[in-house]
Amino acid sequence: MTRRGKSTTAPAARLRIDPAACDGIGVCARLAETAVELDRWGFPILVDRPLSRGEESAAQRAVRACPRKALWIERAPDPAFAWPPVDASPRP
Amino acid sequence: MTLDLTASSDRAVCTTPTRTTVARDHTDQRSALLLHDVRLARTGPAEPWVPSAAEHLAEHTARIGQRPAGTATLIDALDEAGLTGHGGAHVPTTAKWRSALAGGGPLTVAANGAESEPLSAKDATLLRQRPHLVLDGLALTAEALGARRAVLWLHGDDTGTLYAMQAALTERRAARYPEPWLEIVSGPGHYLAGESSAIGRALNGGPALPRIRRVADADGGPRNLVHNVETLARVALIARGMPPVRSTLLTVLTPVDRQVIEVDRGTPTTEVLGQTGWLHRGSPQAVLLGGYSGMWAPWLGVEHLTFDETTLRSVGLSAGSGIIAPLPHGACGVAETAAIVGYLASMSARQCGPCLFGLPALAQSLRLLAHGNAPRGEQSRLLDDLQAVAGRGACHHPDGATRLIASALAIFEHDLREHAHGRACAGSRRPTMPVPAVTA
Repeated sequence: MTRRGKSTTAPAARLRIDPAACDGIGVCARLAETAVELDRWGFPILVDRPLSRGEESAAQRAVRACPRKALWIERAPDPAFAWPPVDASPRP
Repeated sequence: MTLDLTASSDRAVCTTPTRTTVARDHTDQRSALLLHDVRLARTGPAEPWVPSAAEHLAEHTARIGQRPAGTATLIDALDEAGLTGHGGAHVPTTAKWRSALAGGGPLTVAANGAESEPLSAKDATLLRQRPHLVLDGLALTAEALGARRAVLWLHGDDTGTLYAMQAALTERRAARYPEPWLEIVSGPGHYLAGESSAIGRALNGGPALPRIRRVADADGGPRNLVHNVETLARVALIARGMPPVRSTLLTVLTPVDRQVIEVDRGTPTTEVLGQTGWLHRGSPQAVLLGGYSGMWAPWLGVEHLTFDETTLRSVGLSAGSGIIAPLPHGACGVAETAAIVGYLASMSARQCGPCLFGLPALAQSLRLLAHGNAPRGEQSRLLDDLQAVAGRGACHHPDGATRLIASALAIFEHDLREHAHGRACAGSRRPTMPVPAVTA
């Protein structure tokens, strides 16, 4: 089934953030409550899983509303752009 | 540059200077990186106590021969040699080459000689002793990948290395050495100026600050390949058909100095420390591996290990860029960690909220615990903040700090409990690690 021209087999959408651009304004947490929560300093923590369809439209609104343009939705499951990056330092 | 003798807590070691220029057991002496091991002050730039001249171009070519041309087959040679990066993350070199080849924009290859980690001195020592070996590696990589630019990136503060490299480059140009045009760029002096995304950004005309890659800038945008200078020196040796990666460069902190040594891979940890004068008066209680953004390991956990990255990784440790800083008995791991995290917090690029607010919060919690006057619940607040900060910066600066704290919580668990109950130990007033002063 397709809905609004979008195939159901499209790669799952994930919400991404550029933490350097984010100023912790917090609009995203209001608009996409299930996908974004704020830490104790008011900076967004994004859910670490693909978004459901309902969440995705809320996330779209958050992306458009972000005054710092720090959010985007990523569909490409390309490991080269995975976050955190592949050259991550070793973890204990 | 100050010699920090007051911070030493194990004076007996001071009186027994050891020869560090031991005869190395390399079957092929030509594949060694350093001309000789050096001793230098515990903090500050990598000025050796006994200055020595850099290797001249004529000596360099007499020792290991002319540089071959960099061709596409070099990537296979590197694959075969299993070369990994020596900047700390140990990423396979060819993996970085392949991802650089995948893009479409103009390629810049950078040799990263900006050693921000305060304890590390191996990169600057290598550059000052064998500038031509590193420049060979840079030229080979640029040729093999068809790079538009080849840059040696240095720290703005490190004038000694800058002069050595300028002299070497002048020598190569005077000799009309056939190679791509090499540049030296002296970056700013701040801590994150050695971070690879910051270097890439600065070389493309931006500020020298870390960034993350967005999908949109990937296609056709400028590509950057940043390698540590030791990695490039090894590329230069492998391209000449020398046996790969038999040794490793280490910076060892002792109570009186730092020592940059080259040891064979698989040297027992006890031998590495014994060689640098440790273990004269008993063993340390723990070692800091990988410097201030590294991790603590209990001495009993590393004593029996041999020193190479594969062995260390098999037990969940990593030496990062090859730094070992033992913590003597009587010193307080909690107070040391607090001082180090305070320094790391002050070195944030102040771009990302979790790092800008999280690291000072972590440093403050640790400071309170170290002084033994933490309010109830400070330890659980520390744990919460640790979770809130990890993995949320544009670069790995906050991750280094959280990893260090996590290892300290595990290893100094008993000390921490005592401190949390207001019983700070005597060692917490006498820090032994040479942490640079934090200027607010």
